[in-house]
Amino acid sequence: MTPDAGPREAALRVTNLHKAFGSLDVLRGVSLAAHEHDVIAVMGASGSGKSTLLRCINLLDIPDAGEVHVGGELIHMGFDRRGQRTPADPRQVDRIRTRLGMVFQRFNLWSHMTVLQNIVEAPIRVLGVPRRRAMEQADHLLRKVGLYDKRDDFPAYLSGGQEQRAAIARALAMEPEVLLLDEPTSALDPELVGEVLKVIDDLAAEGRTMLIVTHEIGFARAVSSRTIFLHQGMVSEQGPSRQVLDEPRSERFRQFLSGGDWGRSALTTPSQSGENESP
Amino acid sequence: MDLAIVWESLPRLLEGAVLTLEITFVSLLAGLCLAVPVAIARLSHRRILWMPAYGYMLYFRGTPLLVQLFLVYYGSGQFQPLLDQAGVWFLFREAYFCAVLTLTLNTAAYTAEILRGAIIAVPRGEIEAARSVGMSGLLLYRRIILPKAFRLALPAYTNEAVFLLQATSLVSIITLLDLTGVARIIVARSFEPYKLYIAAGLIYLVITYTFVLVSRRLELRLSGHRREQPVGGVGSASGR
Amino acid sequence: MVTLDLHGYGWMLWRGLGLTILVGLGAMALAVTFGLLGAWGKLSRYRAARGLAGTYTTVIRGVPELILILLVYYGVPTLIQDLAARAGHDLRVDLNPFVAGIATIGLIYGAFATEVFRGAFQAVPRDQVEAARAFGMGRALMLRRILLPQMWRFALPGLGNVWMVLIKATALISVIQLEELMRSADIAARATRLPFTFFFAASLFYLGITIVSMVIQGRIESWSYRGAQRG
Repeated sequence: MTPDAGPREAALRVTNLHKAFGSLDVLRGVSLAAHEHDVIAVMGASGSGKSTLLRCINLLDIPDAGEVHVGGELIHMGFDRRGQRTPADPRQVDRIRTRLGMVFQRFNLWSHMTVLQNIVEAPIRVLGVPRRRAMEQADHLLRKVGLYDKRDDFPAYLSGGQEQRAAIARALAMEPEVLLLDEPTSALDPELVGEVLKVIDDLAAEGRTMLIVTHEIGFARAVSSRTIFLHQGMVSEQGPSRQVLDEPRSERFRQFLSGGDWGRSALTTPSQSGENESP
Repeated sequence: MDLAIVWESLPRLLEGAVLTLEITFVSLLAGLCLAVPVAIARLSHRRILWMPAYGYMLYFRGTPLLVQLFLVYYGSGQFQPLLDQAGVWFLFREAYFCAVLTLTLNTAAYTAEILRGAIIAVPRGEIEAARSVGMSGLLLYRRIILPKAFRLALPAYTNEAVFLLQATSLVSIITLLDLTGVARIIVARSFEPYKLYIAAGLIYLVITYTFVLVSRRLELRLSGHRREQPVGGVGSASGR
Repeated sequence: MVTLDLHGYGWMLWRGLGLTILVGLGAMALAVTFGLLGAWGKLSRYRAARGLAGTYTTVIRGVPELILILLVYYGVPTLIQDLAARAGHDLRVDLNPFVAGIATIGLIYGAFATEVFRGAFQAVPRDQVEAARAFGMGRALMLRRILLPQMWRFALPGLGNVWMVLIKATALISVIQLEELMRSADIAARATRLPFTFFFAASLFYLGITIVSMVIQGRIESWSYRGAQRG
């Protein structure tokens, strides 16, 4: 599709996503759309369903209801023999996943492979990119995230910040249409956060389409075009980042933005975890 | 003490040791090849896959190796016409074949259990990362889960190899002249049991600890990539 | 489907099973004794005790059970006779296969039990020991009242494994002509010329022991976890 042919299809469209773990409703009807070059920050207290939202998008968790479109393509769902909702075509899921880059909170680098092997593994084995080209591309990405000199090291010998940068390079090597980042800095020591945010900042400047679950408010304001605030599995506020972050409408979001203990608020203040949404 | 008999018998004992090593390695290799699909089947959610794997592992881990050996070597005789028809009877007449077949089936069951544990211990996150780039099925097993699981299983597998080495001594009961077999024959003729059994025992000791030393080195080399400890260390009894 | 017609030899297998279990229980009791001694040696302050316990487990793990059984049953009597002869006595020593079997299997699995007990002693939290010291308990009292009772809980799963391996190892005693399960099956197989039938039947008996042991082990473990935190 050419850029100026009719209404542009969103790079990623999520419609009315529901997900429960047992009796715990984690997502209760979340919808969002990311267009090309959008950088969307997803915020919310722990337990608000941010990570589950990302995991449901690339089917690491199977949503109970709702639709996910990637580049206009709907991920078809069906039911297995026991009546569990499951992807109708596993091969479609694999294919869709190659178009969605995922960066995990705890990096999840393959520990038996070097940094370089981590990066070229999927392009070669899944996409069928010739080894030579994959290596060239990997070198390029490694320079970009500043890890060229660590290319032959095993993950266990990297710092958390280096591991996360390697994981970002691994995701980029697939040339994904949308990059999903699940709290990419929250497992890092404070002094290592900056180097990772810098890399993500560069990606945003390149015009990458990204969905970032983050707690870094300053970063979200500087980098993201839009911010979504999740509360109890629903989108409670959304809009252009500067507007939403500077003038939060709900008391809860205001508290979240100002509170130092946002990460634990759902656990430490029982009054906030009631069923009713207060205006 | 007069050790002449031991020195005289040493060449023949060592010849026996060569057969011991040969049987050990052939069975280990064949057993490993069999153990991989069995372990994967055992972890399947499909009943048609996990139930046979479970039954196989339970039977071979739950009964003595000696019974298994006799079942194959003597028991096959009961089905001679059938095996003849299938054209494999000439194999079952050979003690060597029966020994290797039984030891293979036996070690495969134990190895499959070790692999099962190791596969379960592969970090979830690393598997999710593989899924997130579109890997699934055999590719996921071949590139991510199995290489990682093999490394995690290595210490326990070293133990299994040592147990198998010692278990091969049972093949002397079905007339093979392995290290134990040679010792027993010489004892039967010379009536010098303790000298020869101690000599044979010492040779086993040397082989065992040389093997353990080599594999610990290998483990160290292979684990250069990780800091965490492997699962199922030394000391877990898994003999027959 | 193979039907197991045991041609009237069924009783022999049952009797053999009884003897197998008897040998197994005797050997297990011995193994626990050796195991406790071995663990005491390994954790001892005395270098000699540590060395002795270390040699014990090293040798046992490096030498096949069959060699050890043959050594004890045929070797030890001969050794005693030789030594006696050298001292000028004419001695004829014969070991009872039942006793020799229990002794050897017990000795072998004592080495495995040693590792189990050593791990169990080390698993008892250090502060329990310190608390006992703080109340002025001496070494013996502390061992008896604090360490031993707590250690068992950690040792039980490992001992269960030792038992299950041990009971299978008793089949080896058939080579010294003790008419336990394996030997009984062998005799019946030869008499009837139905080796598969009898060895398969015997294997099912062993499998039965294993399965019953697994169930009991599960029960005992959940029982012994009362009042303990599950990790």
